[in-house]
Amino acid sequence: MRIPRLARVHLGPMAVLFVLALTACVLVAGLPRVTQGAFDQALRRALTGAPAVQADLAVTVESRSSQEDLHERAQFDTRDRLWHKLLPATLRPLVAPGGHMSAKTTLTPVTGSHGGRYLNLGWLSDADRRVDWVQGRVPGAPATMRYEGEPIPLIEVGVVAEAAAKMGLRPGRTVVLGENDQVAVKIVGLFEAKDPGDRYWSHNTDILHYTEIQPPNGGDMEVHTTTLMSDAGLTALSGAGRNLTYRWILPVNGAAASAQDTVGLGAAVADFGRLVTLQSTGTPYHLETGLPKLLGDFLAALATAQTVMYLVLGGLLAVVLGVIVLAVRLLTDRMDHALTVARARGGSLRQVAGTAAALTGLAVAPAALAGYALSYLVPGPVVPIVHLGPVLVVVASAGFAAARPAVTHRTPLHERRDDVVATRPSARRVTLEVLVVVLALGGAYLLRARGPAASAGQDPFLLVVPVTLTLAAAVITLRCYPYPLRLLVRLTARGRAAVPFLGLTRAARARSGSVLPVLILLPALAVSVFAAVISDGIAGTQRLASWEQAGAPIRITSPMEIPAAQVERVRGAAGVDRVLLAQTGRVQLGYGAERAEALAVDVGQWRELLGDAPVGLPPLSDGVLVSPELRGRGTLEIGWQSRLRLATRGVIDSVPGFYTQGKFLVVPLSVQARPYVNTLLVSGDASPAALRRLVPQATVVSQAETLAAIQDDPLTSTVRWTLLVVTVALAGYALVAIVLALVVGAAERARAVSFLRTLGLSERQAQRLTVLEILPMIIITALAGLGLGLLLPAALGPGVDLSSYAGGLPVGDYALDLLTPSVLAAGLAAVAVLGAYTHTAIGRRRALGAVLRLGDLS
Amino acid sequence: MNPTLSELEARATRHKAAFGGDAHIVCDNLVRIYKTEGVEVVALQGLDLLIDKGELVAIVGASGSGKSTLLNVLSGLDVPTAGVARVAGLDLLSMSARDRLRYRRSVVGFIWQQTARNLLPYLSAAENVELPMKLAGKKRERRAAELLDLLGVGYCANRKAAEMSGGEQQRVAIAVALANSPQLILADEPTGELDSETSEQVFEALRRANRELGVTAVIVTHDPLVSEQVDRTVGIRDGRTSSETLRREDAEGQIIAEEYAVLDRVGRLQLPRDFMSALHLERRVRLELETDHIGVWPAREEPSSD
Repeated sequence: MRIPRLARVHLGPMAVLFVLALTACVLVAGLPRVTQGAFDQALRRALTGAPAVQADLAVTVESRSSQEDLHERAQFDTRDRLWHKLLPATLRPLVAPGGHMSAKTTLTPVTGSHGGRYLNLGWLSDADRRVDWVQGRVPGAPATMRYEGEPIPLIEVGVVAEAAAKMGLRPGRTVVLGENDQVAVKIVGLFEAKDPGDRYWSHNTDILHYTEIQPPNGGDMEVHTTTLMSDAGLTALSGAGRNLTYRWILPVNGAAASAQDTVGLGAAVADFGRLVTLQSTGTPYHLETGLPKLLGDFLAALATAQTVMYLVLGGLLAVVLGVIVLAVRLLTDRMDHALTVARARGGSLRQVAGTAAALTGLAVAPAALAGYALSYLVPGPVVPIVHLGPVLVVVASAGFAAARPAVTHRTPLHERRDDVVATRPSARRVTLEVLVVVLALGGAYLLRARGPAASAGQDPFLLVVPVTLTLAAAVITLRCYPYPLRLLVRLTARGRAAVPFLGLTRAARARSGSVLPVLILLPALAVSVFAAVISDGIAGTQRLASWEQAGAPIRITSPMEIPAAQVERVRGAAGVDRVLLAQTGRVQLGYGAERAEALAVDVGQWRELLGDAPVGLPPLSDGVLVSPELRGRGTLEIGWQSRLRLATRGVIDSVPGFYTQGKFLVVPLSVQARPYVNTLLVSGDASPAALRRLVPQATVVSQAETLAAIQDDPLTSTVRWTLLVVTVALAGYALVAIVLALVVGAAERARAVSFLRTLGLSERQAQRLTVLEILPMIIITALAGLGLGLLLPAALGPGVDLSSYAGGLPVGDYALDLLTPSVLAAGLAAVAVLGAYTHTAIGRRRALGAVLRLGDLS
Repeated sequence: MNPTLSELEARATRHKAAFGGDAHIVCDNLVRIYKTEGVEVVALQGLDLLIDKGELVAIVGASGSGKSTLLNVLSGLDVPTAGVARVAGLDLLSMSARDRLRYRRSVVGFIWQQTARNLLPYLSAAENVELPMKLAGKKRERRAAELLDLLGVGYCANRKAAEMSGGEQQRVAIAVALANSPQLILADEPTGELDSETSEQVFEALRRANRELGVTAVIVTHDPLVSEQVDRTVGIRDGRTSSETLRREDAEGQIIAEEYAVLDRVGRLQLPRDFMSALHLERRVRLELETDHIGVWPAREEPSSD
């Protein structure tokens, strides 16, 4: 069939197909990489952000007798190698090399301190790399000394400089430890951490710092610290008579973590724990780690993001495939003549279908390959869909290209004649359609009733429901859209104008040709509206969360009173519009021990300050606003600077910027005889940094900074960014679908219009006719898609928890912001009208006879 | 005397001579109904047709009489609903998809009315002729050039459809139809879009194919230029063969055309419409059998009781 020459003849549709497949493959292969990359980044942030002691794996064992003591570094090393060997394969890439080992005692009292000072004995395997000796020398080998007539070990140790100062220890001093089985330590040096900020020290804060603990009996504060000994000191360190714990730290390399593998990690950690325990010979070995909890928390946040992403990307894939199939249809329509001739001249079904598939493949395969290659420019890990997406695009388009001519040119030929229209659906089809609708509605109801899935991980039900809902909406649209049209047709039939009647009649009689555009437009609009609504919902909730956290454009809180002079300086600072004084405090309720958080502020002015922010308080001129916990108490007796008796004027769920839970109340600032101003609420665009300089003792929180911090999260920004890209892409594909649908039906429409023009239809009327014919399908589908897109978040809302993307607030109140959807729908309608006009304008150039001859094939 | 059981059995198993005998094309009581829910269009309603090997036959009839449907059936593009359709001994009703493909590849070739529809516009004339050979997987060198030369369009071998006149295109289309040496070529109004001079050339090409290659040719036509030059013209009316015109040369070399009505196997006869209107024949006629003919008279004027 000379494929290359056929390709040259059909260059237009081939180019359209190439571009569509290219963009589709870039999107389908690229977006999952971006989202997966964001998931990974979020996981890494979760792992590296957590304290090392929580994220790392620590194998611990207590030595309870001298038999269980480890006296040499080699003994530690042997076990360290064993732990690394025991690591399950899934954990191994996550564990970074370069762990450390430690031996530390706890609660080792200084003899004679009566439990007031504790000097624990400690050894770190990599102390030489971690500390600098700032005074004295490095500890050496232990010796013995006599204490109360008994020889006791004397271990040389160093102490962190901070603790030495606190506990009055200096090099050269010998301290006897223990109430019995005493051991002496000789302080030979003081050290400081080389890098105190290193996550490493999270495992050994007791060595780096001293700790003060309030004893339960309420006496003086206990001071604890841990000394550092040399390797040689280990020989004198025994678990007999002391709480001695050995630790092997296997550090988790958060940067190597991948969200794809998290599901198996929890089980692997549990496995490792079991294996470690099995190695016990005396006192059992334990695995201590907070990794499973970290992963669990992350997976819970991830599951929602994945569900939304899968929904949106799945919708995109479906729409993309639909548009490509539409373009393939255009191509097969164009080459139908060649295929018909070939079939009639003895081409087998395989030859005919093969030609169509090969021609399609010629356009799609290089595009898919290029798109696949381009997707590697997108940062992010490779997930299976990256490979599968382009393959799916090629297989679907070539498959459709092969199937369509195969069905058309199957023998025997047409059992039906195209000129006889009958649209009575079979009972089987009606039953199937009713089933789909019932299943979809039932599924949505059950999902709402059930709420979010109890277990972390993917929720297949949540994914299936929107798909069936979309299918149901498509079925209903396809089945029902002729009815309102026919009503209109009946109305226009009475009128005198012929064009509305003809146009609407043609629209109402549109056959299966209009199914595909509906199936594309509907999910395209639904998913893009869904994405827009979700995105708006997240954005709105983020803003709400930032206001909830800040309470004002800028909030300045100080632990002590802010002097009037400073307040004046703040007032005078550049960009400050208004400064509102407030006082916070912990107040007594009644005369008992009950306390509540209180805020004294001029609520009326604060409301003005907040302006159109999404948070606010009810007006309050006198009396008190209380939290739900203080509801129903009538007049409150409050002990603040003076005794106040205030009537409850309202109940509030939170005080933005201050309190969200517990017992709290808001009173007017005027109730204080002399307000002790420790809080300023500032409006205007002043720089928070400048204000920090003006009030150095205070904390300055700005709403803009809070919002930026919420939005800065990689997961949040990626989710929103992906939603935006998908919305734009789907809107684009919807437009392409309309244009393609116009072009596909062009020949047939041109013939019909030409016939009518021979009957006296003017050009202007022809244009109106085309528009009227196209518009109902677009408007009705657009409305259905719009409705579905607005309905989906409401239907899925209880099942999807997006709070982790919105500063912890649940994203529930999806505002019906009709702007984006309306713009989408209006854009579609405008392009449709434009397309129809252009189409007729081009058709006008063709001679009437040529069009009629061209169409008059059968 | 009543036949015995064994005689009846023998009679039942004895092969009857099939209708049409060994004719090249046999259509017996051919019916084609297009069905759509609730609506049936009967395109052929019991058509009988016999065409011998090597004949050149024209089929004429009004628009919608079923000519094109008949041609589609004979070309293997369409399957009749009932009846018998046999071409070169192959039963067109019981053919499998594979048989049908082989039939289209080696038994039949055809030409459509629209010149543009016969040829692929992006291939040259020679390549168009080679296409059926390639599809059948049996390309013969020089065959395309020979065919184009035979039909007088050898000079068009390297031209594309747009570079040829309508007549040239149709003659190339005949070459395409003949590419795989079919036994039968079917032409649906091959001269429908051409002026009379060009029509003459195209018809001449068809006649040459018929005479020189021994191909049976069936031409559906409105063109008197064609229908009056063939040996036999078959008229179709309302999905049935209604008349046949035979032409022969008399002793002086004059062509004599004789029109016959067609009598089907059960004795039905279609009277020509102008005969019926001339004698006001309606609903009922009176027949009288004479020794060498049957007389047809209008029904007597009498008060009807029904």
